[in-house]
Amino acid sequence: MPILEAKALRKIFKLGEHTVHALAGVDFAIEKGEFVALMGRSGSGKSTLLHLIGGLDRPTDGEVTLAGMQLSLLDDDKVTLVRRRNIGFIFQFFNLLPTLSTEENVALPLTIDGKDLNAYQEQITTLLRHVGLEERRRHKPDQLSGGEQQRVAIARALVTQPSIVLADEPTGNLDSKNSTAIMELLRRSCDELQQTIIVVTHDPRAAAYADRAVFLRDGLIAKELRFKKSMKVDERLSTILKTMENIPEQS
Amino acid sequence: MIQNILLAIRSLIARPLRTLLTTFGIVLGVAVILSINITNRSTLAAITRLFSESSGRTNLVVTNADLTLGGFDEGILYRISSVAGVDAAVPLIQSQTLLADDSQRNEFNVSFFGIVPGGLLVYGIDPAKDTLVRDYKLEAGTFLTEDPNEFHIVLVREFAEENNLQLGKSVTIRTPAGSARLKIIGLISREGPGQLNNGAFGVVPLDTAQKIFERPNELDQVDILAAEENRSPQELDALKASLQDRIGVQYSVIFPATQGKRVSQMVSGYQTGLNIFSIIAIFAGAFLIYNAFSMTVIERTREIGMLRTLGMTRWQVMKQILLEAVTLSIAGSAIGIGLGILLARGLIRVTEVFLAQDVSDVAIPASALISSAGIGMIVTLLATIIPAWQAGRISPLEALRIRGNSDDTIAIQRGLRIGTAFMLGSLIVIFLLPIPEPFGSRVNNMAVLGMMFGGALLIPASVGLWERLTRASVRRMYGREGQLGSRNIERSRWRTALTVAALMIGVAMILSIRAVTIAFDRDIRSWIDVYIGGDLFVFSSIPMRNDLQAKLAAVPGVDAVTPIRYLDIKRVKPDGETEPLALTAVDPASYSQVTSFAFTDSVGDPADFLAQLAGGDTIFVSSVLAEKYGLKQGDTLTLKTRRGERKFKIAAIVVDYYNRGMVVQGSWRDLKRYFQVNDASAYLVQVESDADETAVQQQIDKLYGKRRNLTIQSNQTLKSSALNLIGQTSSLFDVLAFIAMIVASLGVVNTMTMNVLERTRELGMLRSLGMTRWQMTKMILAEALLIGVIGGGLGLLFGLFQSRVVISTVNSTAGYDLTYIIPTQGIIVSLVIALFVSQLAAILPAARAARLRIIEAIQFE
Repeated sequence: MPILEAKALRKIFKLGEHTVHALAGVDFAIEKGEFVALMGRSGSGKSTLLHLIGGLDRPTDGEVTLAGMQLSLLDDDKVTLVRRRNIGFIFQFFNLLPTLSTEENVALPLTIDGKDLNAYQEQITTLLRHVGLEERRRHKPDQLSGGEQQRVAIARALVTQPSIVLADEPTGNLDSKNSTAIMELLRRSCDELQQTIIVVTHDPRAAAYADRAVFLRDGLIAKELRFKKSMKVDERLSTILKTMENIPEQS
Repeated sequence: MIQNILLAIRSLIARPLRTLLTTFGIVLGVAVILSINITNRSTLAAITRLFSESSGRTNLVVTNADLTLGGFDEGILYRISSVAGVDAAVPLIQSQTLLADDSQRNEFNVSFFGIVPGGLLVYGIDPAKDTLVRDYKLEAGTFLTEDPNEFHIVLVREFAEENNLQLGKSVTIRTPAGSARLKIIGLISREGPGQLNNGAFGVVPLDTAQKIFERPNELDQVDILAAEENRSPQELDALKASLQDRIGVQYSVIFPATQGKRVSQMVSGYQTGLNIFSIIAIFAGAFLIYNAFSMTVIERTREIGMLRTLGMTRWQVMKQILLEAVTLSIAGSAIGIGLGILLARGLIRVTEVFLAQDVSDVAIPASALISSAGIGMIVTLLATIIPAWQAGRISPLEALRIRGNSDDTIAIQRGLRIGTAFMLGSLIVIFLLPIPEPFGSRVNNMAVLGMMFGGALLIPASVGLWERLTRASVRRMYGREGQLGSRNIERSRWRTALTVAALMIGVAMILSIRAVTIAFDRDIRSWIDVYIGGDLFVFSSIPMRNDLQAKLAAVPGVDAVTPIRYLDIKRVKPDGETEPLALTAVDPASYSQVTSFAFTDSVGDPADFLAQLAGGDTIFVSSVLAEKYGLKQGDTLTLKTRRGERKFKIAAIVVDYYNRGMVVQGSWRDLKRYFQVNDASAYLVQVESDADETAVQQQIDKLYGKRRNLTIQSNQTLKSSALNLIGQTSSLFDVLAFIAMIVASLGVVNTMTMNVLERTRELGMLRSLGMTRWQMTKMILAEALLIGVIGGGLGLLFGLFQSRVVISTVNSTAGYDLTYIIPTQGIIVSLVIALFVSQLAAILPAARAARLRIIEAIQFE
């Protein structure tokens, strides 16, 4: 039983007189503990797919089922609750609250959920250790580097132990050294915490940390690659690059 | 250029709400300035016209030197006529009376100057001569015949119609003897002299008037028509001098316009109040414009950065923003002028109530239109300069950068230093530097403003403190998401400071106004207790006969009766100049049976003071006068009397605010001896302790009310009507505070909208993390609540301070002796309003935040 399942997903945008088929019928599923990279050029529909999976937008057609819940049957408040408890988000621009410390930013989803933070102190400490920021728990975002800020954002996404973590270009705003660190961290989160993760990226290097790479083109899945656990990152990368060469330009 | 203007218009249309807010700021300023300008002009014009038209072609007027001493002997007429250059001397006697019909008897108009009797103003004229100076427009019937003894009257048509009086029939009017019947032989229009007393006006032959009002051979005024060749200004000056010389100092020879001037002076206080409105409106408008344009610039940071990368210079960016301001100011001024004209109509009606005088609208002068529109444009430009400058400073890099928080640490530090300096400086000025009057109170007021300014500068540095102080209560109210919101207040600290300052000023204004009103209220209450002593106050709008005192005393249940006479007199200053004062004459013996004086700063036995007063050549002076001129017990004061200048010994200082405190008290004996006045303005009646006050009042009314045309009021009624008048005046100031609060609330709307806009992406992130719309609403409301708390708290602090300084200013400059009372009610009201306003104003921005579409928000930059 997949933790997330998308069936015949279609999303049509109206831009003036034009209609854009951002997603033209996508079937997609992810098992618990799986790490998937969604790849594709800009306009391929990868971000739209992420938004629909994350309950940030509603499909024109089709169905998203997350942890047994059909998102289209839920109203805004219910979907909000699903996001709060079942989904963790990581953004390109980190999006930390500047007034909150590292620790408080990590705890933000719990705060929003009205949880008693004292009961979660240990978990937060463990997470901070996991992302390597135990020493900087009292720092404000403007005292952290970009890479550190993104690590805070990852800890924030993990704090509710969500069914799935969705990351939209998590390395898009980082240099290569920090990018590697972030992808390694996500990989570890998957391996050590059995966290299900979907990463949207156009960077093949980032995608090489996933178990599976899904290529989108013109709103459809063009190709899927599954990697064996034993495969090294470099081997995965060359496979991805080769595949990318074989996928024609968008029409 | 046209291209640029089109661009400016398009960018204004793209942000309709903001454009509306800015326009509102401009419209507010222009409309208020214009309407006040029109109102002031209309009021002055109405007063001047009234006096000039009612005096008609008169070149000079002769009156008694002390106007209220009443008439003078008509023998003077011949002396005046004999002066070379006088073409005609037109006699006039005037009297205020009432129709005998009961309906009008107790009618009084409450006006800005006090209580004026309603009823009918009657001029006694010499029909042959009067038409030389005044134009009566006859509408029906005939004018007065030359026979001076006919019992005829000519009334203003509207007045006649309102009172169902018909041409050819009789009308009965009240006179000292009871009543007189006059035949209505003509009706005139409400023009020229017909405008007097709001049209409640009539003319009767001179001799008839002297007869029925029991003033034989007396005149109130002689209007002079100069000979043709003597009408140049120089010639009139010469004629005035030679007339004055001829008839002596007990008469005044004046130009007719100066009568109007005296009234204008009285009106000027009211006009000053209105002008303060203008200034506040300009500030409020500028604040709104500034706020809205700052918001526009913040919102367009990226766009402007992009334009800069495309090669737009700083100056071009500034110019574009300023062009938008100019475009808007033209539209705003046009609307403002329209609204101002409408507003003026309303304001003129209010003025009419205050002045108890019709004020017809004047033609609106082009200069007023131009100046108000000009001020509107200049203020708009000035208010836009800072945002435009900020726009010019936007770096091209902004186009590429994600929006972060600008680092304003240095500015906050500077604010802290300058703010502290202002606060300390102001405190030193107020408490440690004794600056002598008349500068002291002004300096102190400036210091309070400086303190508020300093306080506003301290806000950015102190918001964190406020947040911690209120954390627990915000959390209780809005939960943990509320706390997230209130912590956001530490972000755009200067914007917050501006909004908080606006709220602070509003709250401080409410408080000061309340405090001053309460202090005045209490003080005047205690003074009225003394001033309107006894239980009943008996007065009439026509002269009362002296036998009334005995008659009143004989009414069953009456314990004692004492007469009072209010008289306008002049004091002679050491330099020989004169100054108008009021004299309250009392009969010390009966006065002490009914009521007492409130002595202050006086050493000795009150009974002895009264004995000295009864002895003659002695007066009491008010504390206001004593303060103003440094007068002490035992000093002397020189008054101008009918028997020349006389020195009066000051037996005691009393609390008395009659005539704004410019009053002295004298004895009945001196009144007769030196001012030759012998009638009472009012009688104070003390009811026996076991008698029923209402019953006695009714008994007096039954016996003499109608016959003697008396109004008998209980002191309770009188007190409440006097206090009512004070209430009306303070409500004018309440309107000011109300405007300040509205502007502050618009500031909150603006600031919170700006915050929401600026944090769109962050809000989107919170929504994607699972924050519900309601949680988001609470978060925004909590932030606004904190603005309300800080604004309310600081406003309270400074308001209490300001009200103390205001009261001590009033005490030291006007010589009042007000006691400061903490305005508990005002504190509660202003705090509740501040919090309520902050929440109400945040509803719109909160709704906007809650409605954000998440995907657009997280992609928003």
